[in-house]
Amino acid sequence: MFLTRSEYDRGVNTFSPEGRLFQVEYAIEAIKLGSTTVGVRTPEGVVLGVEKRVQSPLLESSSIEKIMEIDTHLGCAMSGLTADARTMVDHARVTAQNHAFTYDEPIRVESATQAVCDLALRFGESVHDEEALMSRPFGVALLIAGVDENGPQLFHTDPSGTFVRYEAKAIGSGSEAAQSELQDKWRSQMTLREAHLLTLRVLKQVMEEKLDQHNVQLAQVTPTKGFEILNEVRLKEIIDEM
Amino acid sequence: MSIMQMNGGSVIAMVGKDCVAIASDLRLGNQSLGISSKFEKIFPMTDRVYVGLPGLATDVTTLHQQFRYRLNMYTIKEEREIEPETFAHLVSSTLYEKRFGPYFIEPVIAGLQKTPSGDLKPYIAATDLIGCLNFAKDFVVAGTASDKLFGVAEGLWEPDLEPEDLFETIAQTLLNAVDRDAYSGWGAVVYVLTKDKVIKRELKGRMD
Amino acid sequence: MPDGSFSNPQQRQFNPYSDNGGTILAIAGADFTVIAGDTRQSEGYSIQTRYAPKVFRLTDRAVLAVNGFAADGNMFVKKVKQRLEWYRHAHAKDMPLRAIARLIQTMLYAQRFFPYYVYNILGGIEEDGSGAVYSFDPVGSYEREACRAAGAAQSLVQPFLDNQIYFKNQAAAPNQPHPAHLPLSDVLAIVIDSFTSATERHIEVGDGLEIYVVLAKGRSVQGLEGVRSIQELSTKSDGDRVFVIRRDLKKD
Repeated sequence: MFLTRSEYDRGVNTFSPEGRLFQVEYAIEAIKLGSTTVGVRTPEGVVLGVEKRVQSPLLESSSIEKIMEIDTHLGCAMSGLTADARTMVDHARVTAQNHAFTYDEPIRVESATQAVCDLALRFGESVHDEEALMSRPFGVALLIAGVDENGPQLFHTDPSGTFVRYEAKAIGSGSEAAQSELQDKWRSQMTLREAHLLTLRVLKQVMEEKLDQHNVQLAQVTPTKGFEILNEVRLKEIIDEM
Repeated sequence: MSIMQMNGGSVIAMVGKDCVAIASDLRLGNQSLGISSKFEKIFPMTDRVYVGLPGLATDVTTLHQQFRYRLNMYTIKEEREIEPETFAHLVSSTLYEKRFGPYFIEPVIAGLQKTPSGDLKPYIAATDLIGCLNFAKDFVVAGTASDKLFGVAEGLWEPDLEPEDLFETIAQTLLNAVDRDAYSGWGAVVYVLTKDKVIKRELKGRMD
Repeated sequence: MPDGSFSNPQQRQFNPYSDNGGTILAIAGADFTVIAGDTRQSEGYSIQTRYAPKVFRLTDRAVLAVNGFAADGNMFVKKVKQRLEWYRHAHAKDMPLRAIARLIQTMLYAQRFFPYYVYNILGGIEEDGSGAVYSFDPVGSYEREACRAAGAAQSLVQPFLDNQIYFKNQAAAPNQPHPAHLPLSDVLAIVIDSFTSATERHIEVGDGLEIYVVLAKGRSVQGLEGVRSIQELSTKSDGDRVFVIRRDLKKD
């Protein structure tokens, strides 16, 4: 792919003669440099797990934030350029609040995902005299987890603005190995606890460091309690159970 | 703010089978401020003629005295008790005398009228503040809750009600109408006039 | 100026609002809702038309009655319907009743300083299958209730409803509390009585009566059997269902 690099990888608004948008494809590549992130859906709720790469012993690992709340019933985990995710999560939060304000009901998981993806393709050059809002595609992929009238759901979004629903999905640097492990071990009728364990086991396999409660983060979305990030005490309990 | 609504209060009268009923609230107010919950607006003029005087409170007292005076003159001159219909005309002419400086009252009259054959026939009437008579076959209303009274009465009233049923009908009509009127309420009183007796009942209603 | 126009200034004004009379009313049952309105439209003492509907089916589970300034009312219903269509496209389902209620509030409040001169009553079936009535003021204040009348004859009808629906001023017999909800046949009788009464005493009410009945999913049509001139408007037979009953009212 990189051999075919040409002048068509410059502008974000120009297709190559083969019909590709190189900048978008590069953005998707950028995600593969990010830390591994895993999502697992069960009938009891959705589990999100991320690896926190602690590059230095002086780094406060608790300051790494790769799982964020969108609404009480919606959460997301990210991989790639996490700074870009702020913009997207901000947009998702505003959209979710606006929906609740206007309709007095929680937004559906798919609608929130759609709203985030609507933003993904807003890069490019300016229209008329206006300043372009974004100069490049987002360099981040999200796993959006949530619960609505259709039950627990997990969505994956990428920089092209495409979104797909998954039963279990891994993104980031270890995603290939992680995804095949998920395919192996995922069962349709898992309990939430089994999903916690599966998520951690998959992360453990692809991580270079030894997994502990400081270098991973786990979150869940359940119909009863909504979105919650598990604290280190609960996390350690699950790790010990592995 | 209209003078008619300054003190608040409402009156209704209904016809039944060989009986009539007249009822009112007991509120006296100064605009939105409640002053008294014992302000009666219905007065017996004879044993079988009653008049309700909703409107400006000072005129309630004045008109009542005025009617008492004119009624006494009538009784002395005629040497007989006045009939409801005659009394209604007395009310009408008294009010019209003040055509261009009226009493701010819309009287309601209820009574039992002697027929040529000697029995008693229900009679009700109401007038506006300058004495234009309205005698209805079913019910008449007046006061700050008049529109509400019309609505409820139109839904609840039916012909030939026995005294107890008539009482229930007029009481329910009044109570539910004044509950939707800020200027009326604070208790109520009902009179049911039959051939042989007059029943007066004070009703407990919402006090807000 | 020589014509003196500066010393004799004139002022002209345009009044963007008028009152077109009429009355609407809605009553919620346990698993149904009845929403009704007369069809007379008037301005002052003139009748503009004897058939101008004020009650509209929005979805198979929601009916909106709009009273006040007819032009504003019709435009408002049009905009609500448009928003419902957009919602269907964005979220792949019909908007639930409480969501419609909140939407109407935001739409009304958006016009806080040039309001739609209308009183809205929304009736239908909630997500849990219960009958519901929401009433609004022109700038969006709203509340869920069991019954509500609005419009020209509100003051005539509402106290009657207080008495007949809420059993106000009626003491319950010992061990026999008042029912929280009335059966459909009783509700229909009360609605018809309310409108014949209002027609009798209010000049702006009359000509025709449209009664919409929304039945919760799976409810039998009990209470509608043998009702004259009834028409079903639902798009599906296995969900909530909407019917309309048309009656004449006095035209004088």
